[in-house]
Amino acid sequence: MLDEKEFIQQLLNPKTQNDAFQKLLHLYQKPLYNHIRNIVLNHDDTDDVLQNTFIKVFQNIKNFKGESKLFSWMYRIATNEAISFLNQKAKKSGISSETLQNNTIEKLKADVYFDGNDIQIALHKAIATLPEKQQLVFKMKYFEELKYEEISEILGTSVGALKASYHHAVKKIEALLTTN
Amino acid sequence: MKEFKLNNSPKISSGLKTPEDAYFNKFSANLLSQLPKNEPKTISLLQNKRNIIMMVAAVFVFALAIPVLIKNASHSNELDTTTLENYLSYQSTINQDDLINELDLEEIDKIDTDIVLKDQTIEEILISNNNLEHYIIE
Repeated sequence: MLDEKEFIQQLLNPKTQNDAFQKLLHLYQKPLYNHIRNIVLNHDDTDDVLQNTFIKVFQNIKNFKGESKLFSWMYRIATNEAISFLNQKAKKSGISSETLQNNTIEKLKADVYFDGNDIQIALHKAIATLPEKQQLVFKMKYFEELKYEEISEILGTSVGALKASYHHAVKKIEALLTTN
Repeated sequence: MKEFKLNNSPKISSGLKTPEDAYFNKFSANLLSQLPKNEPKTISLLQNKRNIIMMVAAVFVFALAIPVLIKNASHSNELDTTTLENYLSYQSTINQDDLINELDLEEIDKIDTDIVLKDQTIEEILISNNNLEHYIIE
């Protein structure tokens, strides 16, 4: 892979922009799909959010100052887009985010892009009871296996706070799964 | 009841499947077609020609306007009072008698003002101001 600064220059240069953006898509569309899918759960919604994410990346790459890694910057955009999407969808339906998530989880079994069983459904339901930040931290650590340092750059939270969040999330999920 | 431990149990997957490559190929193609194109700006020959005609017309109108502007500039300024006074004081050879000859009686009456002075006041002024004697003799 090219040096990141050089790659960003290629993304900014009108002559090399298209080729560089195709490379970016090729590299990040799958990991970003998985990241967004873990937040919004539904495949069609993920498709919309992923599209919006890449369009935002394309439009704002000129403002990327290189203070964080390109990977973290894109994950941050994807996370914000996914959360905004869920909030807007809940608002439009006149329900809370938790109810919206539960409704989506109920429909998961019928989703062609879901191959889980009752334990997966129970886990997703347990996660849905957590506060938004704990949900994000748990999903990024447990499902996506990102390092605390990477999550810290994406969410702008200290590693210590992330460890505490993850610990609380695990305890709550274990308690819920034990009772169920 | 056996306590459930996430870290002690086999890892539970999310169950969320990643689509096949065909989905991502289609996704990339769709996305790339939606992105704004950065094509270089092309200026049509017609538009360029129109600009040149406009520029020539502007220069022509300006050239026509120059004599009119110069003419207006030379006639528009009348002499102001200060300039006239300065000229009469320092540049011309006209003296006070010449000026008075140019005035008619009515104009002289307008200038003439009644000053009521007591004899004592006149004497005091004459005593205190030596130069006045010189002016009176003159």
